[in-house]
Amino acid sequence: MEINLNRIDYLQVGVISQKTMRLLPALGRKATQKVAVADHDGVITCFGMKKGEAVPVFKTLPGQKITRLDLGGALGTPQEKIFVCAGSEVKGYTKKGKQFLSFEANLTESINAMHVSGADLFVCASYIYNHYCDCKDQDYYLSGDKINDIVCLPAENLGRIVPVLACQDRVLRVLQGSELVYDIEVPGPPSVLELYNRDGGTNGEDILYGTVDGKLGLIRITDSSSSSKWEIDNEKKKGGVLCIDTYDILGDGVKDILVGRDDGTVEVYGFDSSNEPTLRFEHVLLESVTSIQGGCVGKESYDEVLTATYTGWVTGLTTESQQAEAGPGEEVKMSRETQSKVAALRAELDQLQMKVVQGREKYQQTAQSSTAVSAMPVFSINDKFTLCQDDASYSLTLEVQTAIDNLLLQSDVPIDLLDVDKNSAVVSFSECDSEQPKGNFLLVTYRCQANTTRLELKVRSIEGQYGTLQAYITPRLQPKTCQVRQYLIKPLSLHQRTHTIEQDRPMNTLSLVGQFSFAEIHSWVLFCLPEVPEKTPAGENITFYFQNTFLGTQLEATYCKGEGHFKSDNISTISILKDVLSKEATKRKNNLDISYDINDDSVGHTLKMIHPKLEYQLLLAKKVQLIDALKELQVHEGNADFLIPEYRNILDESAYLLEEYKKQPAHLERLYGMITDLFIDKFKFKGQNVKTKVSLLLEVLDNYDLDSLMNFFNEA
Amino acid sequence: MLVPIFTLKLNHKINPRMVTMGKFDGIHPCLTAATQAGKVFIHNPHTRGQRQAAHRLSQSAQDSDISLLNINQAVSCLTAGTLGPNTTGDTLLVGTQTNLLAYDVHDNADIFYREVTDGANAIVLGKLGNIESPVAIIGGNCALQGFDYEGSDQFWTVTGDNVRSLVLCDFTGDGKNELLVGSEDFDIRVFKEDELVAEIAENETVTSLCHMHGSRFGYALANGTVGVYDRTARYWRIKSKNHAMSIHAFDLNADGVVELITGWSNGKIDARSDRTGEVIFKDNFSSSVAGVVEGDYRMDGQIQLICTSVEGEVRGYLPASKEMKGNLMDSSVEQDLIRELSQRRQNLLLELRNYEENAKQAVPGASERDTQMGVIPANTQLQTVLSVREATESQRSHIELSISTPNETIIRAVLIFAEGIFEGESHVVHPSAQNLCGSIRVPIIPPKDIPVDLHIKAFVGGKSSSQFHVFEITRQLPRFSMYDLNVEPEAPQPTGKVTFTINDRPQRVVMWLNQNFLLLEGIDTPDVTFTSLRGGGLLTISMLSTSGEITLNTDDIDLAGDLVQSLASFLAIEDLQAEADFPTYFGELRTTLTEVDDYHSVHQKLTAAIADHSNHIRNMLVQAEDARLMGDIRNMKKRYIELYDLNRDLINEYKIRSNNHNALLACLKSVNQAIQRAGRLRVGKPKNQVITACRDAIKNNNVNVLFKIMKAGTASS
Repeated sequence: MEINLNRIDYLQVGVISQKTMRLLPALGRKATQKVAVADHDGVITCFGMKKGEAVPVFKTLPGQKITRLDLGGALGTPQEKIFVCAGSEVKGYTKKGKQFLSFEANLTESINAMHVSGADLFVCASYIYNHYCDCKDQDYYLSGDKINDIVCLPAENLGRIVPVLACQDRVLRVLQGSELVYDIEVPGPPSVLELYNRDGGTNGEDILYGTVDGKLGLIRITDSSSSSKWEIDNEKKKGGVLCIDTYDILGDGVKDILVGRDDGTVEVYGFDSSNEPTLRFEHVLLESVTSIQGGCVGKESYDEVLTATYTGWVTGLTTESQQAEAGPGEEVKMSRETQSKVAALRAELDQLQMKVVQGREKYQQTAQSSTAVSAMPVFSINDKFTLCQDDASYSLTLEVQTAIDNLLLQSDVPIDLLDVDKNSAVVSFSECDSEQPKGNFLLVTYRCQANTTRLELKVRSIEGQYGTLQAYITPRLQPKTCQVRQYLIKPLSLHQRTHTIEQDRPMNTLSLVGQFSFAEIHSWVLFCLPEVPEKTPAGENITFYFQNTFLGTQLEATYCKGEGHFKSDNISTISILKDVLSKEATKRKNNLDISYDINDDSVGHTLKMIHPKLEYQLLLAKKVQLIDALKELQVHEGNADFLIPEYRNILDESAYLLEEYKKQPAHLERLYGMITDLFIDKFKFKGQNVKTKVSLLLEVLDNYDLDSLMNFFNEA
Repeated sequence: MLVPIFTLKLNHKINPRMVTMGKFDGIHPCLTAATQAGKVFIHNPHTRGQRQAAHRLSQSAQDSDISLLNINQAVSCLTAGTLGPNTTGDTLLVGTQTNLLAYDVHDNADIFYREVTDGANAIVLGKLGNIESPVAIIGGNCALQGFDYEGSDQFWTVTGDNVRSLVLCDFTGDGKNELLVGSEDFDIRVFKEDELVAEIAENETVTSLCHMHGSRFGYALANGTVGVYDRTARYWRIKSKNHAMSIHAFDLNADGVVELITGWSNGKIDARSDRTGEVIFKDNFSSSVAGVVEGDYRMDGQIQLICTSVEGEVRGYLPASKEMKGNLMDSSVEQDLIRELSQRRQNLLLELRNYEENAKQAVPGASERDTQMGVIPANTQLQTVLSVREATESQRSHIELSISTPNETIIRAVLIFAEGIFEGESHVVHPSAQNLCGSIRVPIIPPKDIPVDLHIKAFVGGKSSSQFHVFEITRQLPRFSMYDLNVEPEAPQPTGKVTFTINDRPQRVVMWLNQNFLLLEGIDTPDVTFTSLRGGGLLTISMLSTSGEITLNTDDIDLAGDLVQSLASFLAIEDLQAEADFPTYFGELRTTLTEVDDYHSVHQKLTAAIADHSNHIRNMLVQAEDARLMGDIRNMKKRYIELYDLNRDLINEYKIRSNNHNALLACLKSVNQAIQRAGRLRVGKPKNQVITACRDAIKNNNVNVLFKIMKAGTASS
């Protein structure tokens, strides 16, 4: 079944955070619902639509940045009290806008996730979870990694409230009181949790999660275990999930899943007869979708998907047809409501323009004074720098509340900048003088087209080369300012946290012994590897598992005070760790005793792991090379019947092959680079320098064959 | 939302920019395009199964609507249209690197087949100026050549560099067509027959031109720019990271005015208003667009816009019907209007907030927050100075742009956006954290003598700031900036010179000098000597105030030409005759001309050798096959070995021939350039006379006359 949803913009408020817009329950017979939205200026706006115009119910005064908004109320009554958290404070408002609660949670960090249920309040700061009942402290939990979101299974079915935390280290933590009951592994760092069907499903035990890397799933949580019902992969490489809701927008009696992503995609998943979710509708809003909810706002009896986006736009995707307004064959007739709306807007614009001109003059006058200063408020940037598992490259997304004028990227490590099709900005590479230490390896400007508020870039790093990538963002806003953001390229930049590793692979070990504290070694590991929590873990020792996203090799890091062990089947990983760790330790004048145990089988094992990838790439490259020539032959001869089946096959698959080839630029070069590193590292540990033999190795690779490569590695 | 009315998949690749529409039988429009393997395909869905294969034409086995035309050489351009006076249908013209073929598809016969030594990079067919019959004009290596239906040469002239695009358009508004030529030296030149009437400098190779209406035309550059000019005034332009493959004028929204349709390398098609450049429609192909044409492909009296992709996909669009009211995109106008207004409101609010917050910061303090925010004194103003710097041991000679702040603030980075002088469109200076200070020097080396606007953005703040103030300054770099007034006394005097007389006061020449050269103090006499920072060498300008005679002494004939043209346009001189002598350059040219002769004779010899060899091959093949049939394996083997050897020889010979050909082309190009350069030393009529006279001298193979003309500017005397 196809549905067609039409976009209607309702209102714009300030920049908003994730999950800060909710629909208030409908009142009595009135079918349209009111919307409550809270922004970074600290303003809560509650409005309803009347004849196509947004009529405010109330608006609070500006204050601290609001990070979450939730609805609550006594259990069993309509959940229409508005709760927001700003800083470490939680405030409650009635639906009329009267503040009835102001609760200081006394946390040192600001609250970034909140759940309200009856008299129970659950808040999370970065690592801390707190439960209050009637504003009295109940339970407390310290999580191993950052908490991104919280949701609680309702008490009705399970007898007690079950809080579930979404933590950055790819697990959902299920709590009871102050204790962890168990944790659930999910395929990516979870960014959002939501109760299925808003009440947890029939048994009140189903929750939906979305991950930073765009995956989606449903998990059933019971007393002592959990089971995954379904999972949706992110094959099309859409943005990360920021918000989820359950609502029957298709009107087929089955609740659909509404999803909002950080690349502006809004999706509706319906369920077919086999209860598998399938994509039914997709729309792109050009900005991060921070909140989503199904309901009825614009017009009675027309359901809609209400979204709020990063720059504060509250937008509906309604089932009401917009086409009907513009009758065929006539002049464009703007509906009266829109006309008055436009007129009002224009009048407001004129007024503002005057004010701005005055402001500008005043500002320019200050330039004459020798004591005055010019200080521009910091504009808000929504940025994300994440490793994509599929192509082992980093994606950097930047979003600003106004149009971006230009972006300067500067890096002091060699990285490759890849083209992203979606971008329309004009890229220009500038000459770099990379000789000086910490010089520039990359200087790129992006000149954006008008109205670009979001930019996506792809960056490919090389393991072992580490430094900083800096982005200078200049928005089109007078007086012009620019802000710099820094992103660390870590030494083992292509590694990703995983839950388990295969223990039976041949492993190389690196051991450190010395006079260092647990915090010190943790800071070194943090320096080397991505996805490690900034805070030193609780307890005496810790073990982290990582996987190389490009090769699939693994790394186990176990360390405690005075001791550290790193195990990997890839000798290059160990070599990089050894170099970086000894450098870091010397920098801090720490005396380290480094020992290593090299397993020669591991090299062969790694080569065997690379083999299928390399073989596939070589074959692909060969086939792609042939396509043009074969096509020419086909044209020349009129048909392809005379070709051997292998070639005919290439012709038939040409479109797919080309696409596959385009998807993985420089894949082969990267593989060659890693094999070369492996070769050099293997002999480095034996104290031999084999850099002179690299050209020989490349020759062997040009006529690739696993056995001859293995022999070369063994003989050299 | 406008949707295609038909979509075809042709299963043939289409070479970019080589697509046309022709009514070869006078009635049915056929999509014609160049494809791989030196072939041209003609898609004729109207008359199925009536054609027979003969001569060049053969039916494609895959698709009965497609006929293939064998050119046997890589096609470089093609077009179709009315050429002859009494032909029923359109003539197809196909250009390659060496030949031009005029072909009658309907009668399946060659009309003419001409060798064109300068190659054919671009072709246009139509009426030019006062020439009676339509001409097919091809543009090659620096040369333009026009042929009528008999294949006879109607028109010839030279231009600055390799021609990449051509269009006919009534530029002057006199009711007759002028020829617009886009070339690799970034210029769009306008020829009224062989007279150059206008020159527009762009900043990249001009890859496409198309006529919009009246004197308005669209253009596309190799760096992704497309835009519209009306005469020499640019209406708008936009730049994309993709490349414009094909541009075409078509009235897609049916408002009576054509839009500029652009097909991009990423497969996007967009239609832009000719006045504002605003996008009114867009669509996407899965692969790069090859060409955009128009025609009544459904034979129902309505002209469609037809877009093709390199993979052979074809889509046809009808102009929008009245109901769509010019709204071809998939969104509602009202929504967009409101959104745009709200966005503007939001921007104004943010700006207002900036001023308000700024006012609150009345007391300067050095708190942690302040340094983060990049607070700077309100009276900070950037100073920029442009100066000429001679070469040192570590650095080539350059123009130095120095930017500095007056107080303790630092410059975190400098971005310079300018066209045509950097590799990309921008240049960045980002000093490392320990070398941050309040002044930055940027070396600039403009590759050619063009005036450039430098749009400078400097990030100013404190050492540890994360937010910076952006200062935007625009400075102009004068046209002749790479010339230094410091002259080494021992430097040899240039031997080349140009002399001409003007009726103007020396003060005006001084004004021109001050405006066009980078002079810090300014000068007050027209007699000056510069050192050229690019090639070394001196440039001396002197003027006799009594007679108004100006002498330019330089060895660089291009520079002399640029100076003459720049001065003439500054003083608004329409016609200027000049005498010139560039002994070194003329000496080189003389050698080139002898080389051309050599290459020609080698070429002839080699051609004769090929004929010989092909006879041999035929004989050997027959003998070898005979031997095989007779069962004489030993002889057969021997023959085939011989054949193999001969084949190897042929390949070697081919290599020699193609090297010879390339060398010949390079020489011809430099000869054409020489004529163009000689022309540029004069202005207006004398310029055209020089070019025509030089052409005649070359045709008659009279080298001495050629040099005389180049020196004196006329053929007589």
